[in-house]
Amino acid sequence: MVSVSTLAAITIDGLAFGASLALLGVGITLVYGLGEVLNLAIGAFAVIAAITASLLTSGGVPLPVAALAGLGVVGVLGLVIDRTLLSLVYRSDGEERILLGIFTTLGLAVMLEGIMVNFVSSRYSLPLDLAPVDIGTTVVTGTSVVSIAVAAVVLAVLFTFLNRTFLGKATRTIFQDERGAQLVGIDPRKIRTLVFVLSAVVAGLAGLVVAARSNIGVGNAFQFTTFALIVSIVGGVRSLVGAVVAGAVLGLVNTLANFFIGSYVATVILFGAAIVFLLFRPEVMSS
Amino acid sequence: MNTDTLPGTRKLALVAAVFVLAPIPIAGSGYGVGVLTRVLLFALFALALNIVFGHNDQLFLFMGGLGGIGAYTTALVADTVGVTAWLALPVAALVCGIIGLSVSWISARRRFTVILISILTLNLQLVFAEAFIGARDLTGGSTGFPYELFSISGIAGAVGIPTKVVLYYVILAFLMAAMVLYIWLINSKYGMAFEAIREDEAAAESIGIDVVRYKTIAGFVAGVIIGIAGTLLAREATYITPSIFTFLAVDVIALVVLIVGGIRRTYGPIVGAVVVEAIEAFLSNYAADWRAAIFGALLIVLFLYFRSGVIVTIRDLLEAYDLVSSGGSGGGGTPAETEAE
Repeated sequence: MVSVSTLAAITIDGLAFGASLALLGVGITLVYGLGEVLNLAIGAFAVIAAITASLLTSGGVPLPVAALAGLGVVGVLGLVIDRTLLSLVYRSDGEERILLGIFTTLGLAVMLEGIMVNFVSSRYSLPLDLAPVDIGTTVVTGTSVVSIAVAAVVLAVLFTFLNRTFLGKATRTIFQDERGAQLVGIDPRKIRTLVFVLSAVVAGLAGLVVAARSNIGVGNAFQFTTFALIVSIVGGVRSLVGAVVAGAVLGLVNTLANFFIGSYVATVILFGAAIVFLLFRPEVMSS
Repeated sequence: MNTDTLPGTRKLALVAAVFVLAPIPIAGSGYGVGVLTRVLLFALFALALNIVFGHNDQLFLFMGGLGGIGAYTTALVADTVGVTAWLALPVAALVCGIIGLSVSWISARRRFTVILISILTLNLQLVFAEAFIGARDLTGGSTGFPYELFSISGIAGAVGIPTKVVLYYVILAFLMAAMVLYIWLINSKYGMAFEAIREDEAAAESIGIDVVRYKTIAGFVAGVIIGIAGTLLAREATYITPSIFTFLAVDVIALVVLIVGGIRRTYGPIVGAVVVEAIEAFLSNYAADWRAAIFGALLIVLFLYFRSGVIVTIRDLLEAYDLVSSGGSGGGGTPAETEAE
């Protein structure tokens, strides 16, 4: 039998994994909801942020500065990609734009990965060096608690931004009615740039959170993308709240299955969930 | 099937002849024959994608996974039943055909868009990839097992030519059979129905075309071809591991091949495979480390600027400047010969 304290510890770990999944899901959902571009390069952003931060810390830079620098790098990268590649994608419309978005971001993912393997081929981590936290009789890793807290704060800030500020409201207007937004003087293209950069940073944060708990390498980029896809499918690709809930639930389920059944089955459960949702609720992906 | 009634029989025979002769100048080079064999294999994958995606708007992004199912099934059937792989291959092809059929049937019944199908099949690809690694008892996990089925080395020994060359001709026979099937299919009532459905699904349905049925047939045919191609891909590698059948190793390459050659063009898959494998061979010789980066960039540029096919775009340009006379669709002859050097 598994003791209650072990179960609690696994739950916290599951939620910590869920936190990074939720961030990835939000990253993909933001961009798809606004511009119908399914960003298959999102995992590369996560990996780039994590590796940049990790290299900086091992070079002696304090962790918070290194983390911010990592996020800054993917933010700038996101801006460059938006102004170049995505500008070309946004020239087309409807289904054609979605397909073009899938292919160009897929190409981008392959390209970024192909470039990175030449420079950063080992595995990297971002140790926080935190002591385990005692909650009653349960001992959980400090890193997991921090991961959950950071993700929660960032998501709260993001939601406040979207709900409370003018820019955020403008963004949500475009989610719902692009023509209407244009009529009241909102430039959708500028908002899309802002949101793409935002999504790159959120994905970068997901990478940092994962790197705090385990080693990651360039090869993980595509895996992160698939996680992001699964979360957005299960949560509904246009719903930010859905992405957060789906991320937390899938992280929990995956970690529990990992502990009780095995890692192979746990991964299959993740993909299986996505397939079941696609088959029974295909409207989540339709435009 | 009476091939005399097939349009363009002479052209296909010419292409076949070029490929039959291609290994002769380089028969001594195992590497050269390997490159030529990959041309055939990826032409086969791209041909399947041309049917199901090009003509039916069903973007199958699980060609690697499905090919893997074909390869593992062939080996397992041959091993457990104790028959020759030649008998196991049709079983495996049928299994893959049924998987393709099921995906197409469900997608068509539920009116999935091309995007939804691509995401569904991408997820299936990832499940298959996990299964190949996880089902260690059947697949040998990530270390795999030797794959030297079809007693090709026996034939090679008897005839006195290298095993790789014999395998090349076996795969060529499959590719040519698939080409005949493709040309017949597209010029039959199926091709007409595919075209009508692609132009306007609702209109096609209103004149009595059974959309679900035709899409399902396309899924089945593509599944069978992909299953066979996957088996032959493992045979070419002589060792089967899950890494042969990843999304990046099969689907991405097949997509690039199809787009380079030109979607919905009869010889598109062959022309595309020649060009792509020539680039790949060049890169692995001169810039092996940058192969993935360059292929990624290629994918972006192709989809942004050359969606109707590189060959088509180049010929349009040449025609615009009166450099060539118009007419005649892209052949596989000349690029194949440069490739053979």
